Amino acid sequence: MARAPVIEAFDVSVAYRLARNRTTSMQEFAIRLLKRQIHYEDLWALRNVSFELLHGSVLGVIGANGAGKSTLMKVAARVLPPTAGRIIVRGHVAPMIELGAGFHPDMTGYENLLLYGTILGNDPRDLRRDAEAIADWAELREFLDVPVRSYSSGMVTRLGFAIATWADPDLLVVDEVLAVGDERFQERSRKRMQDLMSKGAAVLLVSHAMATVRELAQTVLWLDHGHAVMLGNPDEVVDAYLAAQHATGSEASLGRSA
Amino acid sequence: MDRDIASVSRTRGVEEVYDSAVRAPLLVTELANLWNYRALIRLLVVRDVLVRYKRSLLGVWWTLLNPLLTMTVMWIVFSHLFRFAVGVSGVPYVVYLLAGVILIIFFQQGTETVASSIVFNTPVLSKVYVPAEIFAVSAGVAAAINLLLSAIPLLIFQLVLGVGIPWTILLVPLPILALLALCVGLGLAVASIAVRFHDVLEFNRVILILIGYMTPVFYPIAIVPHAFQVVIKLNPVYYDLVLFRNLIYGDSLSSWQTWLAAVGSGVIALAIGLAVFARNWRTAAAMI
Repeated sequence: MARAPVIEAFDVSVAYRLARNRTTSMQEFAIRLLKRQIHYEDLWALRNVSFELLHGSVLGVIGANGAGKSTLMKVAARVLPPTAGRIIVRGHVAPMIELGAGFHPDMTGYENLLLYGTILGNDPRDLRRDAEAIADWAELREFLDVPVRSYSSGMVTRLGFAIATWADPDLLVVDEVLAVGDERFQERSRKRMQDLMSKGAAVLLVSHAMATVRELAQTVLWLDHGHAVMLGNPDEVVDAYLAAQHATGSEASLGRSA
Repeated sequence: MDRDIASVSRTRGVEEVYDSAVRAPLLVTELANLWNYRALIRLLVVRDVLVRYKRSLLGVWWTLLNPLLTMTVMWIVFSHLFRFAVGVSGVPYVVYLLAGVILIIFFQQGTETVASSIVFNTPVLSKVYVPAEIFAVSAGVAAAINLLLSAIPLLIFQLVLGVGIPWTILLVPLPILALLALCVGLGLAVASIAVRFHDVLEFNRVILILIGYMTPVFYPIAIVPHAFQVVIKLNPVYYDLVLFRNLIYGDSLSSWQTWLAAVGSGVIALAIGLAVFARNWRTAAAMI
């Protein structure tokens, strides 16, 4: 039964090369280049982060804004290769970061389901066959032929969640997804995640909701300015994190649901 | 009431493993991606060809009408107002013109949509793992299909005006592929800058119009002064157009030098575009 871990991260580091005066137009960039006003600096979003994520378990990732949580999600979702270090991800990844970000507002729910599902690596024939089941789960069956621009944000999230979790992924990369939508959806999405986990899926859960992290995670990783401050038992790490938050007197709202 | 999604066995079969330490050669990765994501390419191409005009009155017919209207305007301007004594060997000016117009539209539309497909899909590409080149290739192939559709009126003109359709038409896909490679290569190179600087797309549009005028679409190269012919012959699209015209109505195979220039420029542009894109894209997109 000893299956290799879903994620193995060895000293993963990510550096962004940032121009200090960021420009979004070539014209401005060229002018600044001539005036020698372009200065680069390397920003290390992650510094030597190592961890393991086993089948059927949840790794909670906590930390203040800018701690490197989003970068870690992008590395795990294969979108961003590490600048140094090594990461191994085994199996099919369902990235649930800003669900619905990939939808085209002009296309219908069905067309988006087909396109987004295929982008995630599924076979369009399977998606066509199961489109109604997916729509049923998202409770959107009668809206499948309506352009997504007229969906509410809750509907977009439900559809995105249903597509991403449909093909029994091995790894779910989850960004506060349980905090959006109404209570009913929160409960159903949580149940769906637990179903997937009982089949062996692992979850990388990034959250500011400490109660959720305590409840779901088996291990918690606390990131601060790209460094791994603590990795271990959820209660210990969350308590230490909250204590540090109090000590610095910053954002009491971080522990809002604790 | 709370039915669950039926669990499905993925068709992929083999368990995928991603190891950031393993880097396959670029060419191998690209070819593997094209094959693995062929279903996505098909989906994107169909969408691009059909959906482009979804909200328009004439729908896909625009694909046919657009080059015809451009050609008509040019025909009136150059054949009647300027009274060009166009010395195109034995072929009616309309046929010469239309062949040029549809090929240059393919080049301009292809390069532009390849670049913009990457820029406009950055929201998905920065969150979900999918090779960005898939979107570029799909946009290029969609433009090539539009070219094939708009070649139908050209063939009708050839038949009606007594030019006929020579057997060499069977080789027409070759210069189209060479030009497709050029479009994808240039488009990717533009995209890797445009992800960071959006005004590059506007700039690119101007350059494409300029290249259009540097290509003998409505004039024969013979009327161009010798000093300027050199400039035109530096333009790779020129060779694709020569091949396209010779094969589709000229009943001529052209010289091997023309083939070398057309195919060579396509392959080189594609290789450079892919390499530049692979180097710049991830880091640029990660910051968005």
